[in-house]
Amino acid sequence: MSAVHKLAVSWFVALVLLGTGCQPDEESAGDRASVEDDAPFVLGDLIEPFDPPTMDELDSRVEWMPQPVEDSLARLQRRQEDEPLLATVDEALALRNDSPEANDKILSALGRLPEDPDDVDWNATITRHTSADVRSTNPIMGSSTIEFDVSGLTGFGLFGFDWEFNRYAASDTVVSWETSTDRMYDRVVMRDDLTWSDGQPITAHDIVFSYQVIMSSAVPVPAMRSGTDKLRWVEAYDDHTLVFFHQEPMATNQWHVGFGILPRHIYEESIAGDPTLQNSPYHVAYEKAPVTGGAYVLHRRVLGREIILRRRESWYLHEGRQVRDRPFFEEIRFQIIPESSVALLAVKAGDIEEKILGPEEWVTKTDGPDFYRNNTKAYGLEWVYFHFMWNNRTEFFSDPRVRRAMSYAFDHREMHEILLYGLAEPANGIFHPTSRWAPEDPPPAYQQDLDKAEQLLDEAGWIDTTGDGIRNKEIDGRQRRFEFSILVVNAAERIAICNLLQQNLAQIGIICHVRPLEFTVLQEKTLQGHFHASFGGWGTGAYPDTNENIWRSDGGRNYVGYSNPEVDALFDQALTELDETKREELFGRIHLLLYEDQPYTWLFFRNSFYAFNKRLRGYNFSPRGPFNYGPGFGSIWKPAL
Amino acid sequence: MTEPTIMQRDVPRSPLVARGGGDISRGFWATSWLRFRRRKLAMTALVFVGLLALVAILSPAIAGTKPIVCRYHGRLYFPAMSYFHPRWENEIFFRDGFRMRYVQNLREKDPDSWAIWPLLYQDPYRRVRDGEWPGQPGNESYAPPNRHNLFGTTHPGVDVFAQMVHGTRVALLVGFVATGIAAVIGITVGALAGYLGGWVDMLLSRLIEMVMCIPALVLILALLAVLDTPTIWHLMAVLGMTGWTGIARLTRGEFLKLRQTEYVSAAAALGAGRLRIMFRHILPNSLAPVLVPISFGIAAAILIESGLSFLGFGAPPPNPSWGSLLNAGRNNLQMWWLIVFPGAAIFLTVLAYNLIGEGIQEATDPKLRQARQ
Repeated sequence: MSAVHKLAVSWFVALVLLGTGCQPDEESAGDRASVEDDAPFVLGDLIEPFDPPTMDELDSRVEWMPQPVEDSLARLQRRQEDEPLLATVDEALALRNDSPEANDKILSALGRLPEDPDDVDWNATITRHTSADVRSTNPIMGSSTIEFDVSGLTGFGLFGFDWEFNRYAASDTVVSWETSTDRMYDRVVMRDDLTWSDGQPITAHDIVFSYQVIMSSAVPVPAMRSGTDKLRWVEAYDDHTLVFFHQEPMATNQWHVGFGILPRHIYEESIAGDPTLQNSPYHVAYEKAPVTGGAYVLHRRVLGREIILRRRESWYLHEGRQVRDRPFFEEIRFQIIPESSVALLAVKAGDIEEKILGPEEWVTKTDGPDFYRNNTKAYGLEWVYFHFMWNNRTEFFSDPRVRRAMSYAFDHREMHEILLYGLAEPANGIFHPTSRWAPEDPPPAYQQDLDKAEQLLDEAGWIDTTGDGIRNKEIDGRQRRFEFSILVVNAAERIAICNLLQQNLAQIGIICHVRPLEFTVLQEKTLQGHFHASFGGWGTGAYPDTNENIWRSDGGRNYVGYSNPEVDALFDQALTELDETKREELFGRIHLLLYEDQPYTWLFFRNSFYAFNKRLRGYNFSPRGPFNYGPGFGSIWKPAL
Repeated sequence: MTEPTIMQRDVPRSPLVARGGGDISRGFWATSWLRFRRRKLAMTALVFVGLLALVAILSPAIAGTKPIVCRYHGRLYFPAMSYFHPRWENEIFFRDGFRMRYVQNLREKDPDSWAIWPLLYQDPYRRVRDGEWPGQPGNESYAPPNRHNLFGTTHPGVDVFAQMVHGTRVALLVGFVATGIAAVIGITVGALAGYLGGWVDMLLSRLIEMVMCIPALVLILALLAVLDTPTIWHLMAVLGMTGWTGIARLTRGEFLKLRQTEYVSAAAALGAGRLRIMFRHILPNSLAPVLVPISFGIAAAILIESGLSFLGFGAPPPNPSWGSLLNAGRNNLQMWWLIVFPGAAIFLTVLAYNLIGEGIQEATDPKLRQARQ
């Protein structure tokens, strides 16, 4: 039985545009506040009227197949039992993390779960670092990873996923989960020993109510609605039995059911008066002291400074009996420090106990005794790739040969060895080679080959005919010089990569201007398609279909205007294909097609680097970093002294 | 006025007369120059700025990876000129596939070729790799100062010395161009306002006050966001077009004063046109006080450019600039060479211009001179 983590909101954190390092990630562009002052509030007005069948009708119509109900901590424990221990704790703590072997030893020894409950310091506090304050403590209002870091601990949820993105229902809250064989219905039976932090029971009606709130046009949920809107209806047949009705039998249906959950008894009456859930004095009071359903409650929050969570005893104790795992920490403090170098000083002093590290911090600022006195560090593979995106709508990059020429022109080796300190992995496309959706026979990552680049440019018609040393081409009767600008976030290490591209292209007669911009300006320009090229990064979603809105012709994040009917068709096919191996094959083909077309030049996968205080144990990395999966943060503990 | 000239021409110069100078009435500028020369600090500053200008002009010959002169297939070329403007690199090198690497290519593609190389084989834009120059190892990332990298290297392995030498161009250009624009606008507006007076003066004075309210920094940031390919020239233009108000006010004051003088009335009586009076007669006599804010203006422009580059909004990359080197050093205090050298360069240059300005002020202002006596 696992405690802490449910990741109710797992589906949401789909693909996130990576901004400057640890900045709050992008808000989904969709639903901004669409409050109309005059219209009366209608709960769930975005849901088509639906008349749910009775349970008997449903039972007679469909055949149910059981789905996994799991405990993420137990899952991790099972995995660790098969893994050899590479070092003892003392050895690992004395190590300097300067080689992959050292990293393996540190993770192996310090990533373990406690063998005995007496090993754990149950009264421990952990101080975490976050680069910005949360905008709301309401679990359905979140829009950036920072809010989900908090709501992942305080929020109530029925589902989770593990480090391999396997979906399961959480045994902490669910008794059984079944899916109909036609994939149109999911039936969940909830446990009956669940309570909100104010003592009221958590029932199936809370979930139905939350669904209706999210699907109300007047409620400004920035991100939660995408995905949830793919549901047809959610019906509570009694206090504990729920059925999720889907619109279509899609492979991603199981990811649409994990929306954030609100206490109905708090908001039912008040929502009509203030659909923003944030403005009325009543709602402000609950914003400050929310009634939570998860393992932690918000204890105190100092705006812009810190957020303090406390373990909720009524989470794991029910009527005086322990019914769930006791969360490892009594108190979790989030320290809000925007400036990374300042936060690192606090880490060195032992005031903050975990922090993400930039590559440069990893190499040059955390290798001395001042760092190792209180801390150790570790890295893990993360499926975040960085790329040059070529705007396929411009006359420069509409031709795939030109885009391939760009990939050949760039000095990938110099970037890896010098600019990235040899810490990143070459990328050859949208899926990491270790991902199960990558093609079986992955194509090689591009290497610099200026001859090939020049040959491709010649073939595409970009030749220097004017004798000024710059390639040009006649387009619409006018000579166009090959001169473009690339947008990049104003951060030194990213500008350096673009400068390298600029140097490489100058060698083959192309002028490239590097344009460092503020993150928000860059976002605006890419959103509107006003750019030639841009440097950026994408994180991974929990399921591969999230790539759809980047690569489909009409995708919302298809900033480069890429269009390949074959890719569109493959995405459609994958969505309705229910056999996992066939789906993997389809995504592998998409990967290969994209590699062929090179709408991006894929550069590298960035690992995630973290500093951990020496007192912390139990951290494990997933392709989405060490925290945001099951158990993720929930497996971290401190040993008793 | 004419007598001394006759004397000079006709009377054989005795050393006494020449040295004492008491008998020769020197012109205003000559006296000022004499006084300026007596000020050691101001003269040192002037020599320093002169040296900087020399470094700026000769930068491709001091540090670079392209030959200053080379003979290739029987003709002479000057590839290093491309550091001033990329298009000044002869396209024959592009056609022959040099790819901006000259050392090996010259030898391979024309064994009879010869070339004169810069003093230091380092590039301000890119890392010099292993084997590019015989006997010189490739630059390392964040190398401290050493034999090949006099001032160390940055994270991408680019030589700091080469960047500073080439950055001198940007620093001096920004100062001269921005203040040049400011001077032209300021003097014209000030002259018109001061000489014409009346409603013209009223209008132009209000214009001056309006422009004074425009924050140059904010305008530059806005411009950078709007322009597709902003260059260092845009920056200079904005600095020039917002920084002329002080000059205009001073010029206006001088013109207000001088237009009442007898020689102006005399010129008018002789039938000289307005423009001629303004620019031929009054301007030369009002220039001295205007030179002072110009000199300070150059210093200010250099500081602003460095400041902008430090914030990451200056000369667009990869153009080397002192401020962007400081920016690179900001997060890496242990890489002291990224801070000390460019910091010293900015400090000394700004100081030099301020000293020159002060020197001019003291040398040209008779009141200051009398007060001192």
